Amino acid sequence: MSLRWPEIVPPRAALAFAAGVVALAVAPWVLGLSPYSHNLVTLAFLMVSGALAWNWMGGFVGQVSFGHAAMFGLGGFVAARVLLAAPELPAPLAWIAGGLVAGLFALGAHPTLRLRGPYFSIATIGVGEAARLVFTYWEDFTGGSSGLSLPIDSDMKYRLYWWGLGLMALVAAASFLIRRSTLGLQLLAIKADVDAAADVGVSATFYQDLVFCLSGAVVGVSGGLWASYFSFIEPNDMFGFDRSIGFVLMTVIGGVGTVFGPVLGAIVFVLLRQFLLASYPQLYLGLYGLLLIFIILFEPLGLTGLLLRLSRPLRRWADRPAAAPSP
Amino acid sequence: MERFVDLAVSAILLAGLYATMAYGLGLIYGVLRVVNLAHGGVIMAGAYLGWVLHGSLGIDPYLSIPLVVLLSFGLGMAMYRVLVRHLPRGAAGGPASLLLLFGVWLVLRNVAYLLFTGNDQAIRTSYSTRSLLVLGTHVSVNRLAVLVIALVTPALLQLLLRHSHVGRAIRAVAQNADSCTLVGVDVERIYTLTFGIGTALAGLAGLLSATIFSFNPGFGSGELLKSFVVVVLGGLGSVLGTGVAALVLAVVEVFAILVLPSYLTSAVGFVMLVLVLVFRPGGLFGHRVLG
Repeated sequence: MSLRWPEIVPPRAALAFAAGVVALAVAPWVLGLSPYSHNLVTLAFLMVSGALAWNWMGGFVGQVSFGHAAMFGLGGFVAARVLLAAPELPAPLAWIAGGLVAGLFALGAHPTLRLRGPYFSIATIGVGEAARLVFTYWEDFTGGSSGLSLPIDSDMKYRLYWWGLGLMALVAAASFLIRRSTLGLQLLAIKADVDAAADVGVSATFYQDLVFCLSGAVVGVSGGLWASYFSFIEPNDMFGFDRSIGFVLMTVIGGVGTVFGPVLGAIVFVLLRQFLLASYPQLYLGLYGLLLIFIILFEPLGLTGLLLRLSRPLRRWADRPAAAPSP
Repeated sequence: MERFVDLAVSAILLAGLYATMAYGLGLIYGVLRVVNLAHGGVIMAGAYLGWVLHGSLGIDPYLSIPLVVLLSFGLGMAMYRVLVRHLPRGAAGGPASLLLLFGVWLVLRNVAYLLFTGNDQAIRTSYSTRSLLVLGTHVSVNRLAVLVIALVTPALLQLLLRHSHVGRAIRAVAQNADSCTLVGVDVERIYTLTFGIGTALAGLAGLLSATIFSFNPGFGSGELLKSFVVVVLGGLGSVLGTGVAALVLAVVEVFAILVLPSYLTSAVGFVMLVLVLVFRPGGLFGHRVLG
């Protein structure tokens, strides 16, 4: 038996992807990133991973979750507790533990998954907010409103850039593979019509559980990395509704249901947020609200849709007949 | 026993407010099949409107009811004409309308923040602290007034829906919009009116809450979720069901104080929301809300 190159992955796409990851990996040395940019790019990696994972549920399956902060926070606090209990343990194990617990928590949300559309979304608001209150109250675990401090040195903080990049690369590759595989088609079928999907043997229950669990686990891992990066976490922030909204906004801005829309959206979101919080903190929410309204009304695929629209004339120009008669 | 009566009375008073919040959300969903996520934002806007009218013009919050209702009605009609009308209908419109109205909510919150800062506000009148003796417990005048208005509102709503031409048209559109076009009902006009009425009810609920609670631009998210519990639990198209569901929610929330630490009582509503959606999606009385 020999290993074959999977048909669903075009070699050129794989090459471009590998080149991109390598370029980002060497960027801090080649470009000599300032601490400010280093910090921003690291955060962008974590947010991109989260947005990509949110998109599996919100984009591929079409179940918009307003409660992913529950998994993000849980991943963060489990990782923090593991690191506090056993500081000599390698940090990645703690992050994985956070991801596992978050994934299990998402599986526990199984009963809500039979709800569709707005009902699922509203239920996730309930789950998210209940989680925030319960974990803020559970001081033995989360330290309550005074939060937890993690034993992270500055060296580890610096190296989190590459851990974040690794997570993002993994999740991006997974997004691409899911989209291109049979699984992606099955999810698309569920999104288009649950009953019709069931008729052809695609069980919405099973695939939603699977995707929600995976999505929750990835968001949990990124929460763990986030906790390590800031070395201080507080439940009202980690479980906050604003964080859940963030995942929604990033994906919708970039292009919901597309493979690389969430990447684009998360980068724009992080940069815009940084800019707004620095210069116009009072317009922060409203601007995102307006962006959301405009995207839904005029370009439901967000920035990806905009790029596609812009590239169409360009491509037509590139594909023009070679022997155009010259005047 | 005395404590029990205290709690029961405050549960009944709270139920009136919850029911008022829920009518608007239920009406809009029933007719347009759109979950109005901006509902919480409008509740917040109603609260600030009452606060401004009382603070700068000196109008008593209960006398400003017609004005607040009218302004919210206009806001709702504008929201429908400018935004909601353009959304795809049916299954495809689900997430889109949710996200769009969520965007509206964020904008409303930001506007309130810009105009009034993030500080907590409250409407204080000369009778804010006055109370009456009911069933042996002291009940604030404000809460009683809110209960009375909460009882009058559904009666008026019922009158409108059952006995007016417009109301009949609204109910007909809720049942089958296509047939309404055939018999000459201007469906778009009915949608606009319904969205306006639903929003007006949210504004009223906001004004009423403002006389009892303090509020800030973030006010309304808990109210939105509670309205949703009441709508799902009570079933659509039943004013009585809405009232009973509001009472159930209020009783559970108020009596949770006996068994839960006070900090967690606000989580009760959220947990109930999920439980109701999962176990009783058809409502208490079997009117199926979910399509």
